[in-house]
Amino acid sequence: MSTAITPIQSAPSKRWERNVPVYGFPVVNGFFLGLVALVLLAFILTGYRELAGLGPVSGMNDAFGWGIWKTFNVMVLTALGSGAFAVGIAAWVFRRKRMHSLMRMALLTSFLAYACGLLLLGIDAGRPWNFYWMVFPWKWNMHSPLAEVAICMSIYAMIPLAVENLPPLLERLWYFDSRLRPGVESIEKRLHYFFPWIIAAAYLLPGMHQSSLGALMLLAGERVHPLWQTPWLPLLYLGAASFMSFGCVAGTTMLCCLVWKRAMDMDVLEEAARITAWLIFGWLSLRLLDILFRGALGTAFHVDRFAGVFWLEMLLIAIGGWLLYQSSKSHNPQPMFIGYILSSAGGMIYRFSPTTLAFRPNPQALYFPATIEILVSLGFISLGVAGFLVAVKRLAILPAPLSEWHDMAAYFRFRRPYIRWTGYFKYGYYGENETETPGGD
Amino acid sequence: MAITRRQLFSGMAKAGVPAAIAVTVGTDVLQANEKLPVPSAAVGLLYDATICIGCKACVAACAEANDTAPDTRGDGLHQAPSDLNDLTRNVIKLYKPEDGSAFSYVKRQCMHCLDPACAAGCPFQALHKDPETGIVSWTAEKCIGCRYCTITCPYHIPRFQWAGFNPRVTKCELCSQRLEKGLKPGCTSVCPTGAVMFGPRSVLLLDAKERIKNNPGRYYEDRVYGETDNGGTQALYLSRVPFEKLGLPELGPESVPAKTLRWQRRFYQYFALPAVLYAGLVQVIRKSLKGHEDEAHERERETGLRAQL
Repeated sequence: MSTAITPIQSAPSKRWERNVPVYGFPVVNGFFLGLVALVLLAFILTGYRELAGLGPVSGMNDAFGWGIWKTFNVMVLTALGSGAFAVGIAAWVFRRKRMHSLMRMALLTSFLAYACGLLLLGIDAGRPWNFYWMVFPWKWNMHSPLAEVAICMSIYAMIPLAVENLPPLLERLWYFDSRLRPGVESIEKRLHYFFPWIIAAAYLLPGMHQSSLGALMLLAGERVHPLWQTPWLPLLYLGAASFMSFGCVAGTTMLCCLVWKRAMDMDVLEEAARITAWLIFGWLSLRLLDILFRGALGTAFHVDRFAGVFWLEMLLIAIGGWLLYQSSKSHNPQPMFIGYILSSAGGMIYRFSPTTLAFRPNPQALYFPATIEILVSLGFISLGVAGFLVAVKRLAILPAPLSEWHDMAAYFRFRRPYIRWTGYFKYGYYGENETETPGGD
Repeated sequence: MAITRRQLFSGMAKAGVPAAIAVTVGTDVLQANEKLPVPSAAVGLLYDATICIGCKACVAACAEANDTAPDTRGDGLHQAPSDLNDLTRNVIKLYKPEDGSAFSYVKRQCMHCLDPACAAGCPFQALHKDPETGIVSWTAEKCIGCRYCTITCPYHIPRFQWAGFNPRVTKCELCSQRLEKGLKPGCTSVCPTGAVMFGPRSVLLLDAKERIKNNPGRYYEDRVYGETDNGGTQALYLSRVPFEKLGLPELGPESVPAKTLRWQRRFYQYFALPAVLYAGLVQVIRKSLKGHEDEAHERERETGLRAQL
């Protein structure tokens, strides 16, 4: 059986047509070892925290009961990791077909952000052994936003998000050894049968818990500064997560393309930038209208840290959105990248504010994270980054032109001939054997 | 004409949309109580700040009644906590303005709200309001130590124990173990001036109103704090100085959970809206998935490379 061989084009297309692993770069390098060191340090410090309690390792106190483990690693980083939700809805519900090439990046970043956030949530809980109540739904307090967040987030990360991340792993197994193919294919078949239900859950659940994260601070009432405290907090949190996660997914993809010298598909990136820009404009107008109608605008012109934080986040998001809108027309990736960074940074400050920067339990109360707290927080971020680096170098995550796949096959054929017998590309050179039945060669 | 399975399911889904919307919108009507129900055997405290002499006997009695070590962390000698903390369920504080106008002591402990925000936020019902006595108590076996109660309580009462591997949440539970034995709470049993009294909430409320009537002009706004504030509380306060100065914020007659979680409660009522949303999403995604798979297989035939879904 022979298949058509794709002719090599003189000017290779830049369209992202296939997810290709980052090949030719070792997983273990200095940067990676640094991350591993941070992760190990965080694990050791976590052990100390479990014995000593939260007081000795953190800056948390009676007034600020929540520190950066919750307010940054969970509230902020899971917003950045909502790509599987926001990009996924664009791709699957609104059928923006180009967004499909970003989906694997979105799913991976989401899974890592949620997994690391949830781990740290378990460490942050004072009495984690009582988490077993989660198994008994009749013990839940159904009206508590925190129960909603804790239960919904765990279910989401453990079931729909994890299952959605399976295809790259299965694909790796499929290429790894021809004897695995029938098994892998039957798993894939069963998976595809359940996919609509899994994907739908993967949009419903984050929609629920990303908004409930905002609802958490509703109960704090007037202790949250009026520029932030609003009945619209759940919707604003969800909106911020949407545009921030576009920034995280598209921005990370662009960064990877820069670092590993991949072609950028400006059609995809421009569409993503356009969607992000409109999300930002919608979010900004909702925020401003809400502040205007509640009559809180006056407090934005006081000379205090709250007004400063407010204008900083609004300016960052607005400038970022404007840069994204411009770059979606000018075909220029540079302002687009800066736009993603600025808008996501602004969104991060917004998600951080109600619990920390704009939270005023009493006039004397102060909170600044302790060194151990910061190191553990960094360690769990490093865990996510390290996981990301391993995944993009070993699995087909990052989108690339079709020629990249062929280049990879050629690279392994000539540089690592032994992989023909043991590894990924046993069947792969210019795809001539890709669809051949196993055992047929 | 026979109804196919598909028609049956889609018909059910379509009927679910108005049903879910009705549940979501109608919930508030169902829950629109003018006043929160007061538990049948609601007990409480009445604290009259104008009588309190600030002797702090109640602070020591509270620690003794609850079998907690005296908090001598201030100077290593006296039991003088500056605020509620992991060893202190009850504290006497002083409000003394700079300009020399009227000063006042204030006793701070759990208000035992009729609609407690701490219990509304507590994920696994570790903080629980007794349906009969209305006492809000904490259960160690259910608490995950999330400290959400320290964020939600408008009076900033529950305190978390920051040291140790097995932290507890400390708050006044009206000495329920003493009530079972027929004793009064520790603080009320030692008060030399009767500034803090224990009894059924209704009786205390009548007593407080009586005092206001007999002493015109003595009490701030001739009002009992806790009668309606925050939906009503079971600890009632009388004071000469504004309540806000004593750390009792003006929260209005609606309770904090009722005020802030209205829409949250509507959206998740019987899980109706999420269920309908889910059914709709499944339908849309099914169609997208079909198109996406077809395209992927088309590309597979073109390129000879295995489809990536």
